[in-house]
Amino acid sequence: MTAMTHRKQTLLDVVTICLLTVVISALLILACGASPVEAASLFVKGIFGTKASFAEIFVKACPLILTGLGCAVAFRTGFFNIGAEGQFYVGSIAAAMVALGLPQVPGVVRIILCFVAAFVCGGIWALIAAVFKTRFNISEIIVTIMLNYIVINFLGYAVRSFLMDPAGNVPQSAKIDTAAQLPNLITSTRFHAGIVLAFVLAAAVWFLMEKTTVGYELKAVGLNQRAAACNGVPVVRSIISSAFLSGGLAAIAGGIEVLAIQKKLMEGISGDCGYTAVLIALVAFNRPLGVVLVAILYAAMEVGASSMQRQLGVPSAIVSIIIGVVVVLILGKELLRWYGKKNGKEGA
Amino acid sequence: MALLEMNQICKAFSGVYANDHVDLTVEKGEIHALLGENGAGKTTLMNILFGIYSADSGQILWKGQPVRFASPKDAIAAGIGMVQQHFSLVRKMTVLDNIILNLRDNRFVLDRKQARQRVRALAEKYGLTVDPDAQVDSLSVGEQQRVEILKALYRDVELLILDEPTGVLTPQETAQFFEVLRALQKEGYGIIIITHRMSEIMAISDRVTILRDGKKVAQLVTAQTQPDELSRYMIGRELKETYDVDTPPGTEPLLSLEGVSLPRKKKGHPLHDITLELRRGEILGVAGVEGNGQKELAEIITGIQRPSAGRVMLDGADIQRETVRQRYERGVVYISDDRLNDSLVTDMDLTENLMLRDYCRPPFSHRGLLDRKAMLQAAKEKIQRYQVRSSGTSGEATPVRLLSGGNQQKLIVAREISDRAQVVVASQPTRGLDIGATHFVRDRLVEQRNAGKGVLLISADLEEIMALSDRIAVLFGGRIVGVLNRQEATVEQIGLLMGGVTGKEEVG
Repeated sequence: MTAMTHRKQTLLDVVTICLLTVVISALLILACGASPVEAASLFVKGIFGTKASFAEIFVKACPLILTGLGCAVAFRTGFFNIGAEGQFYVGSIAAAMVALGLPQVPGVVRIILCFVAAFVCGGIWALIAAVFKTRFNISEIIVTIMLNYIVINFLGYAVRSFLMDPAGNVPQSAKIDTAAQLPNLITSTRFHAGIVLAFVLAAAVWFLMEKTTVGYELKAVGLNQRAAACNGVPVVRSIISSAFLSGGLAAIAGGIEVLAIQKKLMEGISGDCGYTAVLIALVAFNRPLGVVLVAILYAAMEVGASSMQRQLGVPSAIVSIIIGVVVVLILGKELLRWYGKKNGKEGA
Repeated sequence: MALLEMNQICKAFSGVYANDHVDLTVEKGEIHALLGENGAGKTTLMNILFGIYSADSGQILWKGQPVRFASPKDAIAAGIGMVQQHFSLVRKMTVLDNIILNLRDNRFVLDRKQARQRVRALAEKYGLTVDPDAQVDSLSVGEQQRVEILKALYRDVELLILDEPTGVLTPQETAQFFEVLRALQKEGYGIIIITHRMSEIMAISDRVTILRDGKKVAQLVTAQTQPDELSRYMIGRELKETYDVDTPPGTEPLLSLEGVSLPRKKKGHPLHDITLELRRGEILGVAGVEGNGQKELAEIITGIQRPSAGRVMLDGADIQRETVRQRYERGVVYISDDRLNDSLVTDMDLTENLMLRDYCRPPFSHRGLLDRKAMLQAAKEKIQRYQVRSSGTSGEATPVRLLSGGNQQKLIVAREISDRAQVVVASQPTRGLDIGATHFVRDRLVEQRNAGKGVLLISADLEEIMALSDRIAVLFGGRIVGVLNRQEATVEQIGLLMGGVTGKEEVG
């Protein structure tokens, strides 16, 4: 197959998937007893209606971009990090501890320290699985999922004990003082500085993956670890650094959530974005810029759907269903292509 | 009436004819050889007969009746058996269970006793000695092949297709295998044997059909032809079978292994106390049946595996503790026998694959930043110099998986053989390549030798070893059982060593 027809085929696939998605969404809305046309108009109005609602897309996309990037970097290296959720938690705990624990440090410095702590701790958390994989050949999928449970419950313990707000009796930390909060950038919206950071990091990851020898190594290791080793590409180093970077990115998302949105540490802080991130990376074929795009689209659908829910009573869970359908369609397409390749294989 | 008649068979894959109006007739009690280069369409033709592919057009007459098999199951039921080049045995099951696996008349409760008797009887009749209760993965390759044949015979086939059956056998095993074929022939079985070895065709076949580029170019009676005629038909041009290795080889030692050992692991093969010297300006052939430690030997030299004992010296320096990359920087390059797994990242493009060794140093990167322009330029130049042809229009950006085997190998050769190379470890470098690509690769190896570098040529193909090597080491059971000068070596002598028969005693 030449590159030209290949590209055409890809385009056709994308159009097909979009059409199928629209049809299935319409059917789901009909099943709720609402008019798809009305729902669609509310959906669009929900997104573009006001400055605040449009900015909300980026607020929601921000953690998805970072955790999605984390997954993409790891997947590219063949390290199936399903632990973005846990690494997000690690990041939020680390950021909260620094922000609350060093009140005498001036704001900007404290924010930077928060992110450094989050990145390093999240990276180390992912590194545990990488060490298990490279040393003992234990599946990173299992280990990262187990690590998720540990840190999620550790956060529950922390907000009931050493991090609990001494002034209250709910399981959450004290409020982070304004100096260490990430500033809001656009008035009357929730658009905060963390969003800018997410885009900057996305650009940095893109640069790393496409333009540097490290990115080339990660790609080679991910596509054929054996050949990489036989050609002298440092395989263990690649897996370790990809895992560290992956965990660090997800943890930054956790830090932003604490410093910009919640302004305190509490249970369920991730909104499960670490799991959504896996899907986003898959749909984006592990490409950094693809992750940004898919995350924004996903966030837009969420924002639109919540307006739909408010005004028409159509459950916003529809978005989750649709995302699920899209993922199945994309994976199904890959499967079909693989199957076709296998059957069309030429015998000599 | 012929046992099998295939008329005007056509089969195209994405517009390219793999079989273009091919005819083939096999009589009862005939051994019919199917000869052709890689990609000539032999396997495709047999896969059509066996029901794996369906022909686009053409007719198959089986015992005079037109047939069309939808699957191998149908073909077997009609009485056609095929032994594939890569065996399809369940390694963790016994010989007997493999033979009766998926039989049509199996009951819910298996009657192993009766089956065992029948297998024994068949084995005895045709000299296919193998223990029915042995587990398959404890058997040698030759024995596994016997199991495959027994499997077919057990299903009462009348025609047996054998795809490159001798590729994995020692000369002695081959001779034994031919005895089996003759016994089957006497019983009236029809046999189609796919091969590219002239000597075997001359020795065993009654008639031979030659395919070239998907077309039947000749059908000859073996007794009335000569190898050079077969070769002319097969290639369509005269072969240059001699190589310029007649200048005297160097004497200065370049690479030496001293007492290198590797313990037996779950996968792979052990090595025992290997001591070997590779000199400048020589090709040292390593002969041996596959799976006697060749891969391990290559990987210990290139640094992919570490030996448990012994030393590896290059140019007087101990490189024992050095990584793959450090050894590459000293000039140890590697053409692996497993292109797709060891050498290439098939989802990356030509440029990226050509850079797998050198991406980390100037001019291809500076301080960790890749210089795509320099990479592309170097790739273009190599692709042109080594005549790597990619099928697509995207040239250097074509994913390597879309390349043919020959072009993939040229790409590897282009990457590995550079000015940097000092020691070229080439493992089965021409396996699966057509004649043109084979010559190309061999010429490059000889060039390296003549340029004063050392080439370690590991090959199961004795003709290749004999044609290229200055000295020949024979590996058997993880030991070097002999090192001979080419002038004094004979095929028989090497064949015996490959089978573990040394002058003094039987090894293993």
